[in-house]
Amino acid sequence: MANQSGSVYGLTILSPICYDKTAETSHNCAIRMKLAAMPRDEFSPFAKVSSTHLARLVVMDDVVYVGAPSCEEHLKSQYLIFETNFDGDLDTYLSRMAREIPEEVDAVWQHCWGYPGVKNVDAFIAYMKKCQVTTTFFFADVNNKTVQQTLIALQTQAAVAEFVEHAQGLSPSELQKSFASFLVKLRGAPPPVPGRPGAGGPPRIETKMKWASKNLAASMAGGAQ
Amino acid sequence: MSKLDATDIQGFVLRGYGLPFARYMFLEIADVQRGRRFIGSLLGQITTGEHWDAGKPEWTLNIAFTHKGLVNLNLPDASLLTFPVEFIQGMKARGEILGDTGRNGPERWDAVWKDGRVDVWVAVNSKNKETLEERCADLIRLTSETGGAKLLGSQDAGAFLIDGQWSPKEHFGYTDGFGNPDFLGVKRNTQPGQGKLLSDGSWAPLATGELLLGYADEAGELPVAPVPHLLAINGSFMVYRKLHQNVATFRRYLEEKGTLYAGGKEKLAAKLIGRWRDGTPVELSPDAPDQQVVKDKQRNVNFTFGNDLNGARCPVGAHIRRTNPRDAFGFNGQLINRRRITRRGLPYGPYVPESEPARDDGEHGIIFMALNASLFRQFEFVQQQWVEYGNDARLGNDKDMLMGNHEGHDRYTIQGSEDPRNPPFVCGDLPNFVELRGGDYFFLPSMTALRMIVAGTVDPR
Repeated sequence: MANQSGSVYGLTILSPICYDKTAETSHNCAIRMKLAAMPRDEFSPFAKVSSTHLARLVVMDDVVYVGAPSCEEHLKSQYLIFETNFDGDLDTYLSRMAREIPEEVDAVWQHCWGYPGVKNVDAFIAYMKKCQVTTTFFFADVNNKTVQQTLIALQTQAAVAEFVEHAQGLSPSELQKSFASFLVKLRGAPPPVPGRPGAGGPPRIETKMKWASKNLAASMAGGAQ
Repeated sequence: MSKLDATDIQGFVLRGYGLPFARYMFLEIADVQRGRRFIGSLLGQITTGEHWDAGKPEWTLNIAFTHKGLVNLNLPDASLLTFPVEFIQGMKARGEILGDTGRNGPERWDAVWKDGRVDVWVAVNSKNKETLEERCADLIRLTSETGGAKLLGSQDAGAFLIDGQWSPKEHFGYTDGFGNPDFLGVKRNTQPGQGKLLSDGSWAPLATGELLLGYADEAGELPVAPVPHLLAINGSFMVYRKLHQNVATFRRYLEEKGTLYAGGKEKLAAKLIGRWRDGTPVELSPDAPDQQVVKDKQRNVNFTFGNDLNGARCPVGAHIRRTNPRDAFGFNGQLINRRRITRRGLPYGPYVPESEPARDDGEHGIIFMALNASLFRQFEFVQQQWVEYGNDARLGNDKDMLMGNHEGHDRYTIQGSEDPRNPPFVCGDLPNFVELRGGDYFFLPSMTALRMIVAGTVDPR
């Protein structure tokens, strides 16, 4: 089960890219243009397929000849490489791709040999599986947590760190009271949105600042003490 | 190991002079021929790494160039293009990588660094103020006699005179200047704890190529260097950064958090840096400063963090642990051997004793200069990954408490232990204690390379 690392599935797809010498824009160039325009932040199509940990699309041209004494070799075609790590099983993920981001999938894969389109989900799944290569290595940071678990863990970590900072110096009874109300707030916090890791971190949960220090950064502007 | 020719290497690269007065002069080359003549007139005065038979000299002189300086001295394009990219770009262009934005951004730099006109850095160090003035006046005279260079500005720096003694302290009250690494072939009074950690727990000098161009580095490779080889060998790259210190903010912060931290103010100060303010490493003496340790050269830089991975003694994010993690990342410290820098530097501006009110504004801070074979792999890595980021130390986005560009956010965690005298503590609302006021990347050529530059005989073919 080299495609599986704990609960995370690592999918590797190599789809041969069409070659058409009569095309005005080669399929290879068309894919590159599509990929270049694809958002890489929370607006990435793969953010919509919310079980995605990470996804990567690359065009592989050929074996680069580096000069003698190496021998010159070539691939039979160019390939679209698709790498993704996600939660759950392969069929569910591929059918989510077909149903949730059909236009984006079609726009890229229409340039690949034998691509049947996403309308017939079963045919799409069968095609992708035919192009599948066994994943042997995972991104080093892959652990056995789902996207949701990871996001909630990050949210909790940030909230707890903030709570600890502002709860220092409280008496045991104050601390207990404060922690109880913090827990209620934390549990009631809206779940984090997938695909937004860079957007200022997980949502902050306001805690009561018991002895919040003066805003030193603001007072610095004053200069002299 | 190659034998080093110390007389071909600028002394500033090989040793900290320990002279109390310094002036850094920033010049613009006026004209190729006259500029070469000016530099030629300095050649005989430049301090090399030659052994000081008769003790410390009265003064020293060293010289370095920005890439623009080398362009203005008309080095061949085929040489100029072979310098490392970060040096060609200069420090200002690297601002996003270095965290030199916001309060550290170029719009807040001194005028001399704003418009990128500096070609040459000339440093004079001296035993006394009169000699410094004489040497500098002589330099100015040479610039006008040769018509080769124009003084754009200068920066004075110097050790503090405290109770009639030259002090190694800086403005925040810490004893500075410990822990420069040892390098193969560089003669020096070696101390255990410098250099690199070996698997048997002993210390050995780092490869020469971590400091000087033209020699094998820790990976057994030659550092990226310009052609011809003769232009590069025995040279080094230097970063110059003028770091303003918000002394009032620092003292106020320490005072305020010190009353909340059960260990008290001085222990808090120690936990921020990893050394008590008198220089005692907290790793060796976590409960109190100990002058015995500070004075003992067998001990004052001789420690590791391998038995303190949780940061109970020295916090994981303490300044000296971040910037020189020793064995904290495992693998006997091998992950850090290509990230070591050699620091030179002195404070500038008057020292304000703790008993007197300090200010944030005004001219006071530290002139930070670091030498390395690769600005990209050494200084820039340390600044980007270990100062402005915390992932390698498993501290997420946390930045170096002292040096970080916090902008009022961020927090610093003192891990502590279950011992009530050593409690955990979180410092929040971090202001910028240190702010950048400018600087650049410089190349310090060997004496041979300087002579070639003066003669116009740098030949890349």
